[in-house]
Amino acid sequence: MGKSWLRDYIIKRLIYAVIIAWGIVTITFVLVRVGPSSPADKYLANMAASGQDVSQITTAIEARYGVDKPIFEQYADYMVNLFQWDWGWSFSTSMPVIDLIKTHWIYSFQLILLSSLFAAFLGILIGIYSAVKQYTKIDYTATFLSFIGISIPNFWLGVMLILLFSVKLGLFKAYYDTTLPLFSLENLKALVLPVITLGTGMLAGYVRYTRSAMLDNLRKGFVTTARAKGLPERTVIGKHAFRNAILPLFTIIMFDLGSIVFGGAYLTEIVFGIPGLGQISFNAIFADDYPVVVAVTLIGTFLILMINLITDVAYTYLDPRIRYD
Amino acid sequence: MRKTRVFTALSLILVMLSSGCTHAEVEQVGGIFVEGQSGGDAETLNWILAADAASFSYVGHTLDTLANYNNQLEIHLLCLAKDVEVSPDGLVYTITIRDDLKWSDGSQVTAEDYVYTLKNLMFSDWLNYPYKNSWQEDVDGDTVFVTPEVVDDTTFTITRQTVDPEFVYIIYDLIPYPKYITTKYEGDVEAFTQAPELNNLTYTGNLGPYKFVEWIRNDRYVVERNPEYYLGKDSGAPYFERYVIKLFGTSATIQAALEAGDITYCGIEPDKVSKFKSLESINVYTVPTASYTLVGYNHRANGWEGLKKTTIRQALSMSIDKQVITDKVYLGFAEPAFSFIPMTSPWYTDEGIAKYGVEVLYDKQKAIELFYQAGYGKKRADGTMEIIDKDDRLLKLILVTTTGGGLAEDIAFLIKQELSDVGIEVELKLVPWETLVRNYLMNKVPGTDQESRYNNGPEAVSDEPWDLVLMGFGTDVLAPSGSGIFFTTEGGLNFFGYFNTEIDKLFKRVRSKEALDKEVRQQIYAEISRILSEEQPVDFLVFRRSNVGFQKNVKGIEPGISMGYNYYLWYFE
Repeated sequence: MGKSWLRDYIIKRLIYAVIIAWGIVTITFVLVRVGPSSPADKYLANMAASGQDVSQITTAIEARYGVDKPIFEQYADYMVNLFQWDWGWSFSTSMPVIDLIKTHWIYSFQLILLSSLFAAFLGILIGIYSAVKQYTKIDYTATFLSFIGISIPNFWLGVMLILLFSVKLGLFKAYYDTTLPLFSLENLKALVLPVITLGTGMLAGYVRYTRSAMLDNLRKGFVTTARAKGLPERTVIGKHAFRNAILPLFTIIMFDLGSIVFGGAYLTEIVFGIPGLGQISFNAIFADDYPVVVAVTLIGTFLILMINLITDVAYTYLDPRIRYD
Repeated sequence: MRKTRVFTALSLILVMLSSGCTHAEVEQVGGIFVEGQSGGDAETLNWILAADAASFSYVGHTLDTLANYNNQLEIHLLCLAKDVEVSPDGLVYTITIRDDLKWSDGSQVTAEDYVYTLKNLMFSDWLNYPYKNSWQEDVDGDTVFVTPEVVDDTTFTITRQTVDPEFVYIIYDLIPYPKYITTKYEGDVEAFTQAPELNNLTYTGNLGPYKFVEWIRNDRYVVERNPEYYLGKDSGAPYFERYVIKLFGTSATIQAALEAGDITYCGIEPDKVSKFKSLESINVYTVPTASYTLVGYNHRANGWEGLKKTTIRQALSMSIDKQVITDKVYLGFAEPAFSFIPMTSPWYTDEGIAKYGVEVLYDKQKAIELFYQAGYGKKRADGTMEIIDKDDRLLKLILVTTTGGGLAEDIAFLIKQELSDVGIEVELKLVPWETLVRNYLMNKVPGTDQESRYNNGPEAVSDEPWDLVLMGFGTDVLAPSGSGIFFTTEGGLNFFGYFNTEIDKLFKRVRSKEALDKEVRQQIYAEISRILSEEQPVDFLVFRRSNVGFQKNVKGIEPGISMGYNYYLWYFE
C-alpha cells in the first residue's frame, strides 16, 4: 500500500482547491462588479474638464468593455472564457490578461523566491547560533538586530538602501532594470537590494522563531540523553534539537510565503520599480479592471492552496508520526 | 484632442529645448535618454480610446500633431505645411499638411486620412471618442459636429456653423489614423480596441521622431530613433538612439535615481531643488506652468449657508495668506493667483483685479468685521468681535482634499491655522481621489434618480456635505475659455454651484464672432477675471512653477512653459 492514503488525501485536497478557487473567483467577481465604481471613474475629471457629458461617456466606456451587461451575463461569459483559457482583455493596460500575467509573473516570482531563501537560510542559521550561544554578546546582538529588522518598514528600508548603496556608494542601480537577462549575474546583482528589503523582516522573524524553538528543544530530555551518550555537539544540535524544531518553523516559512504571494511584495516592487504582479494587481484594483483583479486573485488563491497542500504533505516526511487517513 | 493639447502644454514634464541648427557641429546621434516618471502608466497606445494624459504622452513620441507652440507661445508647425487659414467670417478652417508624411507601408499620409479619422472614428457612434465634444457645436439648440471635407491630397477644410475663435487650437492637436488599416476594424469596437497594429503603433512611419519598440506595463516605455523623421531631414534629428520612460512608484526613488545618474531627467519637488542645484552633475530648471491651486467654496444647499454671500467669501479669502503659501509651502516656486488666467497667458491682465490674500486684502481683522457685518459675528464685552454661526456658536467648516499629496496637505493645514486665527474651526477631511469625486464633487437633486454628475443644476447636492475643497486645476494659456466649464451655469465641472448670468454671457461672448477681434477678446477676459476676483466663487491661491532636473550632458535645453515643443533636437554632449 505504501502511502496510498497520502495519494487519496492529495486528490481530495486538489478537488477542494478547485471548489475553493471557483468560490473565491465568484465572490471576487461579484464584489468587484456590484461596487459603485466603474472603469470610467478615473477619467471622469478629465472628461468633465473637456466639457463632456460625463454620464454619456461613462455609459460608452462601460459598453466598450462589456460591463454594462447584466452581472449574470458578464459572469457567465467570464467563466466560459476562463475555461477556454481566455482570461479577458485588461482595459487598464490594453492587452490580454493572460499576456499581462505571462510577462509580469517572473518579476514577482524571482523576488519572492530569492527573498524567502535569503530569509530562511540566514534566519535559521543565526537563530540556531543565537540559541546555542544563549545570553552571550552574539545572542544579544542577534536579538537586538532582529527586533530592528522586524520593526523597520519595508519601503523605508528600501529607500535607505538606495540612498546608501546606489546614490552614495554607486554600487547598485537605483532601480530594477528589466532589460537584464533573467539568468545572469547582472540580474542577480540588481535583485540584491530588493531581496534584502523584502527579506529583512522575514529573516528577523525566523531568527526569533528558530531561537525560541531551539531553546525549547535544547532543554528537553532527549537532548540531554543524546549528550549523555557522548554524541558530538553538532549532531545533538543538527539531528536532534533542530530536527524537532523544524516543524513549526516550516509552517511559519510557508505561511510567510503565502502572505507575500498575495501582495506582500507590493511595497518592495514600488520602491525598486519592479513591474511584478503586486503592482499589476494594485493598479488594476484602482482602475476597476476586473479581468485582471479576478485573474490575479485566482492565481494567488491557487498558489496559497498549493502551498498549504505542500506544507501538509511535507509534515508527513518531517514527522512520520503525522497521518491524514 | 484637447487632451493632447493639455499634454503639450504640460510637456514641461518632458521638458527641454534646443537651440536649433546653430550647434550642428556638436549634435550627434547617440545615447539613451531615460525620463523618470511617477505619475502612473498609460492606458493605451490606441490613442483615440484614451482619456489619460500619459497615453497621449507616450503616443506623442511616435506621432506628431499638426502643430504646437514654443515658449513664446508662437505656433510651431509640425505636420502642417503652413499655418491653418481661417476664413474672415471665422467659420471655415483650411488645413494644408506637408506632402512628405508617410505611413509605415510607404504610402503617403493624405488629407483623406485626417478627414477619415474625424468622420469615421472621432465622430462615430460606435467608437464613442471621449473628447468628441471638442468637435461639436450648439446650433439652434442642437449639438452637431463640425464638417470636415477633403479638398485635395494635402488640403482639407473644417467648417463650423458658429464662430469659436479658439477652435483652431483644437485643430492643431489633430493626429490621423491610417485609413488603410483602420477600415478593417471599423464598426467593431472590440476588434478596434484590440487591433495589434493600433496597439503596437506599427503604422507610424515618419510621423514622429521615434518609433515604438516596447512597452512593459508599470515599468518602461521604449522608443527608438526614427531616421526617417520628416523634421530630421536636414538636421539629422532626433539625436538620442532611444528614449525611455521609466516608471517609479515614489518621487523619493525617482529623485535618488537622478542623483545616482541612473536616469537622465525627472521632475523635482520644491524642497529638493536646492540640493539638486548643488550637485555638479545636474542642471535644474524652474519653469512656469498653467496649473493652479484653489480653494472652492460650496455654494450648494449642503454647504454652510454663509458661503452664498460674496462678502463672506471675500472675508474667507482675505484670511488666507497667499504669500505664505507661495514662500513656505512652495518655497518660492509659485506665485499668488487671482484669476484662472496665468501671467504667462497673452490674455492675462492685472487691471481691475481684486487681489485677495495679499497686501491690503490680507487682513484678518477686516475679515472678522465682514463676518460681523454679514450677521455672523458678535461683539464681546471688551468691544472685540468674534465669528459665530446663525445659532450663536463657533463657526465650523469642513475642508476636504485628497490624501497623499504632500503639498496639498500642507496647504490644508495652513488654511486650517489661518481660519483658526479668525475664530473659525476647520475640520479637515483627507480622502482618496475617487472618494472626493464620488462623494463630494459629483451631485444630484435629492430624491430623484438622476445620474450623479459634476453639475446637475442649482438644486443638486453631493452625497457628503462640505464647505471648502482644496484642489488643483489647469488652464490652457492660449485658449482659457475652456475654463468656462468651472464657472458657468451649464459648466460641466461647476461642482461648486456658482451661478452668475453675467459670467455666463461673457464666456459665451468670448467664443463668438465679436471675439475674433483680439482686443475685444482681451477685454472680455479682463472682465471675466475682474468679476471672478471680486466675487470670489473660489479662492485662487497660487500658480505653480515646475522644477525639472537633467543630467548636465543633455544639451539644447531652453527652459520655458512649452519646453518640450521641439525636444527631438536635444542631444547628449
